[in-house]
Amino acid sequence: MEGAKNQRFPKIKIREMKDDYLKFELRETDASMANALRRVMLAEVPTIAIDLVEIEVNSTVLNDEFISHRLGLIPLTSDRAMDMRFSRDCDACDGDGQCEYCSVEFHLSVRCDQDQTQDVTSADLQSTDPTVVPVDVAARSSSSGYDASENRGIIIVKLRRGQELRLRAIARKGIGKDHAKWSPAATVTFMYEPEIRINEELMESLSLEEKNSWIESSPTKVFGIDPNTHQVMVVDAEAYTYDEEVIKKAEAMGKPGLVEIEAKEDSFIFTVESTGAVKASQLVINAIDVLKQKLDAVRLSDDTVEADDQFGELGSHMRGG
Amino acid sequence: MDKKPQQNPNKSQYYKKSENMPHRNRKYPNCENLEELLKPHVQSFDHFIDIGIETMLENIKPVKITDKFTNTTLEIKFGTHELSAPQKGHAAIGQRLLPFECRQEKGSYSGKFIVEVCFSYNGRVPLKEKFKFGQLPIMLKSKLCHLRGANAERLVAYREEPTEMGGYFIVNGLERLIRFLIMPKRNYPMNVERDSFRERQDGYTNKAVIIRCVRNDQSSVTNKLYYLQSGSARLGFWVKGREFLLPIGLVLKALIDTNDHEIYASLTCCYSDIYQKGERSVGTQLVGERVKIILDEVQGLSLFTRAQCIQHIGKYFQSVMDGMDDETDSSVGETVLEEYILVHLQSGHDKYNLLIFMLQKLFAFIDHRATEDNTDALQNHEVLQPGHLITIYLKDKLHEWLFKARRLLQDELSKKGQKFEFGSLLDVKKVLDRNPSKSIGTAIESMLKTGRLASQNGLDLQQKGGMTVQAERLNFLRFISHFRSVHRGAAFAGNRNTSVRKLLPEAWGFLCPVHTPDGEPCGLLNHMASTCRITSYFDSKGNIKDFFKIRLSILSVLIGVGMTPSLPKLVRAGPPEVLSVLLDGCVIGSISSNMVEKAVAHIRKLKLSANSGIPDDLEVGYVPLSVGGAYPGLYLFSSPSRFVRPVISLNAEKNHDIELIGPFEQVYMEIRCADGGEEGRTDDNPATHEEMHPTGLLSVVANLTPYSDHNQSPRNMYQCQMAKQTVGFSSQALQFRADQKLYHLQTPQTPIVRTEAYTKYNIDEFPTGTNAIVAVLAYTGYDMEDAMILNKSSVERGMCHTSIYQLETIDLEEQSGKSDHVRQIFARSNIDKSVRSSVDSDGLPYVGQVLHPGQPYCSTNNTLSGAIKEHKLKGSEPVTVDYVAVDVKHNPPQKVNIRFRRPRNPIIGDKFSSRHGQKGVCSQLWPDIDMPFSGTTGMRPDLIINPHAFPSRMTIGMLLESIAAKGGCLNGKFVDATPFPSSSRKENKELPIESDSVDDEVEPESLLDELGPLLTSHGFNSLGSEVLYSGVLGTELVCEIFIGPVYYQRLRHMVSDKFQVRNTGAVDPTTRQPMKGRKRGGGIRFGEMERDSLLAHGAAYLLHDRLHTASDFHVADVCSLCGSILTTSFIEPQKKAGQAIAKVTPRGNQRKVTCHACKTSKGMEKVAMPFVFRYLAAELAAMNVKMTLNLSAGASEKP
Repeated sequence: MEGAKNQRFPKIKIREMKDDYLKFELRETDASMANALRRVMLAEVPTIAIDLVEIEVNSTVLNDEFISHRLGLIPLTSDRAMDMRFSRDCDACDGDGQCEYCSVEFHLSVRCDQDQTQDVTSADLQSTDPTVVPVDVAARSSSSGYDASENRGIIIVKLRRGQELRLRAIARKGIGKDHAKWSPAATVTFMYEPEIRINEELMESLSLEEKNSWIESSPTKVFGIDPNTHQVMVVDAEAYTYDEEVIKKAEAMGKPGLVEIEAKEDSFIFTVESTGAVKASQLVINAIDVLKQKLDAVRLSDDTVEADDQFGELGSHMRGG
Repeated sequence: MDKKPQQNPNKSQYYKKSENMPHRNRKYPNCENLEELLKPHVQSFDHFIDIGIETMLENIKPVKITDKFTNTTLEIKFGTHELSAPQKGHAAIGQRLLPFECRQEKGSYSGKFIVEVCFSYNGRVPLKEKFKFGQLPIMLKSKLCHLRGANAERLVAYREEPTEMGGYFIVNGLERLIRFLIMPKRNYPMNVERDSFRERQDGYTNKAVIIRCVRNDQSSVTNKLYYLQSGSARLGFWVKGREFLLPIGLVLKALIDTNDHEIYASLTCCYSDIYQKGERSVGTQLVGERVKIILDEVQGLSLFTRAQCIQHIGKYFQSVMDGMDDETDSSVGETVLEEYILVHLQSGHDKYNLLIFMLQKLFAFIDHRATEDNTDALQNHEVLQPGHLITIYLKDKLHEWLFKARRLLQDELSKKGQKFEFGSLLDVKKVLDRNPSKSIGTAIESMLKTGRLASQNGLDLQQKGGMTVQAERLNFLRFISHFRSVHRGAAFAGNRNTSVRKLLPEAWGFLCPVHTPDGEPCGLLNHMASTCRITSYFDSKGNIKDFFKIRLSILSVLIGVGMTPSLPKLVRAGPPEVLSVLLDGCVIGSISSNMVEKAVAHIRKLKLSANSGIPDDLEVGYVPLSVGGAYPGLYLFSSPSRFVRPVISLNAEKNHDIELIGPFEQVYMEIRCADGGEEGRTDDNPATHEEMHPTGLLSVVANLTPYSDHNQSPRNMYQCQMAKQTVGFSSQALQFRADQKLYHLQTPQTPIVRTEAYTKYNIDEFPTGTNAIVAVLAYTGYDMEDAMILNKSSVERGMCHTSIYQLETIDLEEQSGKSDHVRQIFARSNIDKSVRSSVDSDGLPYVGQVLHPGQPYCSTNNTLSGAIKEHKLKGSEPVTVDYVAVDVKHNPPQKVNIRFRRPRNPIIGDKFSSRHGQKGVCSQLWPDIDMPFSGTTGMRPDLIINPHAFPSRMTIGMLLESIAAKGGCLNGKFVDATPFPSSSRKENKELPIESDSVDDEVEPESLLDELGPLLTSHGFNSLGSEVLYSGVLGTELVCEIFIGPVYYQRLRHMVSDKFQVRNTGAVDPTTRQPMKGRKRGGGIRFGEMERDSLLAHGAAYLLHDRLHTASDFHVADVCSLCGSILTTSFIEPQKKAGQAIAKVTPRGNQRKVTCHACKTSKGMEKVAMPFVFRYLAAELAAMNVKMTLNLSAGASEKP
């Protein structure tokens, strides 16, 4: 291929990693790649979420639709999701979406027989598949991350004496593009790594007071001052939000060109926060997988138009859900 | 009514809360402030219950019937009454009826009204008989309501809102209230100039003094004192739809024993020679001339004594007065004076004095020493309260009943003569039974239902309809606004003159300048300012005011400060030396003008102290002397129904008492702004009072707009309108409501930026919006022209999710007529199995079932015919059955309420608005990933609006709200956005955010200086803008984008209720053109102007398509021989069709057509035409006009 000589090999360097949080650097690639990764993480990494609710008894204060909607938004542990089938493509159940290959069944049955207000929480959801449970329940059992005593589960509805909620729920695989409940990411964002060059010569022409007020002009703590040498230096370049406050300030002080800030075109700092459905690190890996599949699909469809129909799952990705 | 979903019959136990539940400490809001808003409604009805009915019954004149044969006289009058609390009628007698039950069963919340009617023969001891006068509607939370005094927990147990405030009636299940109506101020003579006065009779001028006199039972009579060109005056009043005009001299002489000299002296006294320097002033001489004319008129009738005058009046009114046929002239005359002249006063002396005063005022008006009083100014207004309206209407109805009773008895006497046992009460009652007493209750109920007063004499009101409105619970703000609204009167609505709509400075603090609708009712439908109250018959402790005692104490106080009482007639002087003192329209004395100010100050001081005997809401209207200004005097008002508002009194003691002032006195007072600014006042006339808070001039709804002082004023008006159209959390007792339509916001939030009024009025109980992250940028082009882009994911996560609850009531009794045996029952068909999916075995739908349009949800069985009728779901969207409530009064049940739930989550075309009059329509649900995002926080906006929404509209408040809310979010605190913070009192001034670091030394210059540092301290730009990246490309957007949370409201206008499409469908039967109307599946008219536009484009094909093909395309048979399209008819195919058809193209079952006129089918041709053309021919034929068509083969094509 002709593009081969321009081929680049993006590098990832992980800065910080928690279950639901990941900060990493992505280098040697461009904005299209970074943004594609962000978009895929938000909208196309599959997870499992409750999609169908059959309500048997509902004498609570919330109506059926509202409860179903709330159930849908509860994040479920979705490590299985990548290998699961979409219900619409499932051969085993003819798209019925109720078989073990494409769905997980939940049951919930709570009745309040006490004078106290009783909370119905995600912990009351009984899953048929131990690997697919509400994330807070999973977190409690694994005892890592959260403080278990703080964690009372996600409240679905509150009950008073005599009220009851009984239902069957089917969770299915889906992607965030179809409905926000399937989005595994709470927040994915990236920023261009800034390159800050202070014009030392000009800087030294400022008094200490001026230096301080210049530093203060940035809402975030980007610059600092050396207490000994009174030299202005970059404390945290990445705190810079490209708001150009310091540049404006420098101009206002009559010292244009005091600092030069440029965004590096090829390095990005990603922040990923997961809902807990998929671990943040896994989310990135899954996203890369999905992206790869999509690219594969593009490459294949380049040759044959008919191939479009054969991709199954991939086809749907290509066509946009 | 029992609920179907819950099988538990004893449902009330589930609300029974025992005290030993320490965990349950849900704090119910303190809704005193809210109750204060509705107090005028409830108090006026309390007055009706407590003393209103009593005084009203006393004031109804007894009727007398004389039997000429036995010479017995029967006097019938009303005695005591009973009005009971609402109770259940049928089987469960004695059980109390609760409001929620009335709402469910579509009944009325009313109590039994029983009055003792006293029959007394020849003046003997009366025989008392109780008459049932039907059911009187009871106002909720009034003294007879079961909800009165119930705390929040009890209210919840009664299935009401915990904050239920009452003030309305329940009639046929609908909540209706009587709207406040502006009335001319009672018992205050006004100078009025109207051209219509000239048209009374010859010689009338356009000037008069008008006084609306109100009796203690609230009924009123308006007296007009017209000035004649001759210099005399006429007193006018209306009796039975006719205006009677009496010479003023006659009335004066008839009222008391007086002589010409006395009248002359008292009328001319008001001119002293010292005060004649004024340019236009006219001397004593001229007034003297006028008085002479007045006196000569009476002399001309050769009436000299009082008795003669009364007799003279009586003679004229003998025929007019009802039921006075047998009375002497003098007693008729007395009655006229009593019932039609200055009815608020009892004694002749008082009336005489007031008439003299009115004449003086009239002469001053004529001589341009006093100006006209503005009848449109709030200064001369009061309000008609619900309880008072009911009192006067009930009086009218009872009066009518009594007179009808008299007529019936008289008819009976004249018809049957001696056969009718007049002496027997039983027989009399039998006759009276023809006059159904129950109709009284129904009349009041139908008045509430329709708002129309069905009255013969007009009740001295300007309008007969539109008295009541429905208290819609679309959202809480709309609900509460109904109770705070004041209507100017329907008579002014049609008036072309816009002067009534003007916002006058007199209304300051009483009527909200912002909260009035734009458009037709602008300025006529006002809303009371939040601090405005209405005086009532109850004092602050809830006891009924004793007006007699009040009057005495005011009198003694005034005499103490130098007033000369009017009774021993000593003073013969008028302004400027001496001013008259009027208390509630009664001349109680006069006071020397150099002592008035001291007296006023003294009264004001006493007004503030609790035990002085002077009521705290006394209005001390001191009109000072002026050249050509308002007529001077000291006017005191203690009457109910006046507007009052609290201000701080700045007396010498500096203890900042709160004084209630009225619009009449306000004009002459010095009230400074709450910040203490003197506004150009000098030490000579220092401010005596101070505003409590600048927001006091805004209504409740206007007070909720944050930073409204930074907005262009019309935007605040729009917000007041839109706040009332917002879908909110309408009711906490949602489960028990039976409203026709109820909008409910599923996921409401409390605003981060809020005003003090928000907490004061507990709006958190009924929130109306969502805090949305709003980015102001032109992103995709889909946000042009007030369109806005919603984030699809935000909507999917529940933003602005709404449902509509809609109630269908099926009453079989109503359908089958009111026959005794049950003819219809709810039942399912045994044969048709297809119904079973949506209808249960009892003929009612399954609760929780989703129904689709056209699906049956309820089926009824006619037990006589066995016919099954199915009720099918109308509309075009699926619904869920929310509840089924069955009326168990009958077995089998006859009435059910079925409530449907329509999900209405945001879609393209739905309307949203911020709290700053910035409405917009959702144009796209944009994918989250394509939304711009912040590089630092990763935040994507929920909503994008276009920056062009700001420059011309100047809603700076919205921008400030965004910045403030952002700061509030970062700090985790609510932000106070009460308008006019700089003009409120300094001592209790707080920073908008109770930040920990209070730097109180530096007064921030602008709001931005306060909010900016807050953002900077959290690493944000101080102006609220952020660097955003394109969601599609991942590149930085060129500009920094203004982004922050703004409280957004979802308006009730939704596309699902409005969209109208059609391809084929219903047609009008006469014209065969498509129907109009969305409900019937009709189209939108392609009218003349649309046609013109297509013509101009030369789009002939499209034109033909729209107006013909897609409309009433029709192929008509035309006889080319006679040219008629109407005489053609088909030949029945029984004839041998062979030969005829042979000629025509043998296609299918083409039928043969002949012309009736020509008796042949030779010239038949088929012509395409609009069907209306054929219709036109038929219409013309009906008018004997024949239309013929000349057919010719077209030049280019063959037919």
